[in-house]
Amino acid sequence: MWTVKYKPKNLGEVVDQTEAKEKLLRWFKNWKPGGKAALLYGPPGNGKTCTVEALALEKGLDLLETNASDVRSENKIERFLGRSVKEASLFKVGGKIILVDEVDGLEASVDKGGMRAILRIIKESAFPVVLTANDPWDRKLYEIRNFCELIEFRSIPIRDIVRRLEYICKSEGIKADLKILHMIAEKNQGDLRGAILDLETIAQGKNQITFEDLEVLGKRERETDIFEALKNIFKTHSALSAKLSVSNVDMDPSEIFWWIEQNVANEYEKPEDLVKAYEALARADLFRSRIIHRQNWRMQAYMVDLMTAGVSQAKKETYRKFTRYQRPERLSFYSKTMIERGKLNNALKRIALKLHCSTRKVKTEFLPYLLYLIKQKKEFKDKLASTFNLTEEEINLIKSFCSSS
Amino acid sequence: MSLEVWAEKYRPTKLDDVINQKHVVSRVKVFVEERNIPHMLFAGPPGTGKTTLALCIARELYGDQWRQNILETNASDERGIDVIRGKIKDFARTIALGGAEYRMVVLDEADALTAEAQHALRRTMETYSSTVRFILICNYSSKIIPPIQSRAAVFRFKALSEADIKEFIGRIVKGEKLKIDEKAVDAIVYLCEGDLRKAANLLQAASALGTRITESIIYEVASQARPDDVKKMLEYACKGKFKDARGLLHRMLVMQGLAGEDVVREIHRQIYGLNLPEEAKIKLVESLGEYEFRISEGADSLIQLEAFLAQLAVYGGKTLK
Repeated sequence: MWTVKYKPKNLGEVVDQTEAKEKLLRWFKNWKPGGKAALLYGPPGNGKTCTVEALALEKGLDLLETNASDVRSENKIERFLGRSVKEASLFKVGGKIILVDEVDGLEASVDKGGMRAILRIIKESAFPVVLTANDPWDRKLYEIRNFCELIEFRSIPIRDIVRRLEYICKSEGIKADLKILHMIAEKNQGDLRGAILDLETIAQGKNQITFEDLEVLGKRERETDIFEALKNIFKTHSALSAKLSVSNVDMDPSEIFWWIEQNVANEYEKPEDLVKAYEALARADLFRSRIIHRQNWRMQAYMVDLMTAGVSQAKKETYRKFTRYQRPERLSFYSKTMIERGKLNNALKRIALKLHCSTRKVKTEFLPYLLYLIKQKKEFKDKLASTFNLTEEEINLIKSFCSSS
Repeated sequence: MSLEVWAEKYRPTKLDDVINQKHVVSRVKVFVEERNIPHMLFAGPPGTGKTTLALCIARELYGDQWRQNILETNASDERGIDVIRGKIKDFARTIALGGAEYRMVVLDEADALTAEAQHALRRTMETYSSTVRFILICNYSSKIIPPIQSRAAVFRFKALSEADIKEFIGRIVKGEKLKIDEKAVDAIVYLCEGDLRKAANLLQAASALGTRITESIIYEVASQARPDDVKKMLEYACKGKFKDARGLLHRMLVMQGLAGEDVVREIHRQIYGLNLPEEAKIKLVESLGEYEFRISEGADSLIQLEAFLAQLAVYGGKTLK
């Protein structure tokens, strides 16, 4: 398989991802037992796993890997990784690196307790642990996220995919029109693995590929655009059509949920419609909470129906207008401010400790008054900082995040 | 050069200095004198001295070494079973310093513990009762599972009286050499709703404004320090400005990271002041109750409260803007 044959042997060979590679290396260099794991995230096929493999090769490390094809229950993980994270590598001097691939693929029922085991491995491992996931904001990951350094892998630009395909064609002695390679790349939207797979499908055993060959590929089921789905949900009167409109969207239902939530108020203008739509979402959310708290994934079907068909049926009549749909603020807020919120939380915890209360109480009971004091007299800011050992940055974070409007 | 937080600076350190709660303090004194403390559960409204009393006990029992002999943990920050199984158990396993027979775990805001965590706790309380005593602190003892209640001496803290609060304010006024009007003191008593923490905070914020603290300064500070985002949000929603209301809700829940329950409570308080038909208010209260229940069962507070806000425009008889 070309995806294996042309795997990068060292970090330099990994296509693109300069920033991610640097971050990963820095993390690796500074890692000490008890340190954070690295969580590499991004869309499929953009090099997360092979970067780790390349890192292992380059540094001469044993790579210990578990991926979604393994059962990853608590016991299984303990048995597979538990001992080896503590023992030195037998064969190589360089030590080991642990890779938990596709960590968002853990199934609550089959992989019972898996997350807990992974968390423990992260905390106790004598060797660095790397996780990969498509969606770092997956609820399943919320517990381990705090113990991870997040490293984003971006979609690979089309020109870089084309260049890689070109290189493979050359090595295989295949003549290919650049335009054809470009079409393959475009079809795969940042997914290098998919592109190489497509190339192999049409080019294997040949020494030239043509436009006709492309047809063989047919259309791999591509995700319907989320925007299309939103349009359908908001405009259609058919419950079934609304429900089906998200079936091809390649996103977690909980993410689609926030896309719909963000745009309900942009689309619906009559208060009655809005009430019904939000109640449908609120009821969908109840099913979501049953999924999370009881691990009852059967409930997902009802959650999806309510948030799609339920929202679509909320309107009396379709609004004849063009609505520009927005990305969910909430998700982008969380991803954009993750580092800041980590630091903020840290600072709040220190304050809480000194005031013998929870961070929640710090926020609701103390900060309104303390921030007011700072506002009144500038010198209070430094005094407050010294009372709680806060850095300038921390106090500014508190000011920007915690003050009311 | 630092700024001491008065609520902390004037937190009593001796049992005798605790404001009121005589019925609890007198019992606790006996325990301390005999150096034999049972597991205890302190229940009562915020700012009435629960945590303070727990810390006083530790001070009296362990003297200078009190910090090494207690584990303070807050269930609202660490509500999972891991804390019970990990941190608390580890602490319970080690021996007390300075010749004390047992150490103390103060578990604040214990009503935030999940049911599983509480069940884990109950075993821990039994297993390590020879080396560790627990003080659980909560607002409502009903949120603590019966098996834990039955293993602890339950003390109910009373809401503090006007005189109690004035006594506490008096200590701060004296300690900080403040000039304050009688009416300003009354205003604090009125605004703090029996919560000494709030009284101290309010007074400290007011002291920044001038040399003499007057009634109007107190009210000014109260409204400035806590600009009423919730009230503003509800008013927007009633006027049909749903998106603005939603924006404020996002700000509070997502950005400030406030707890859904805290926002719900404030909404509840504000409903009656809204410019809506009276019968609408009672319907809204009922529906708010439904949303709070859902949130307490694990639903997402943002989406549930948005659904609530959407209803306001309908009751307000407004079209959306």
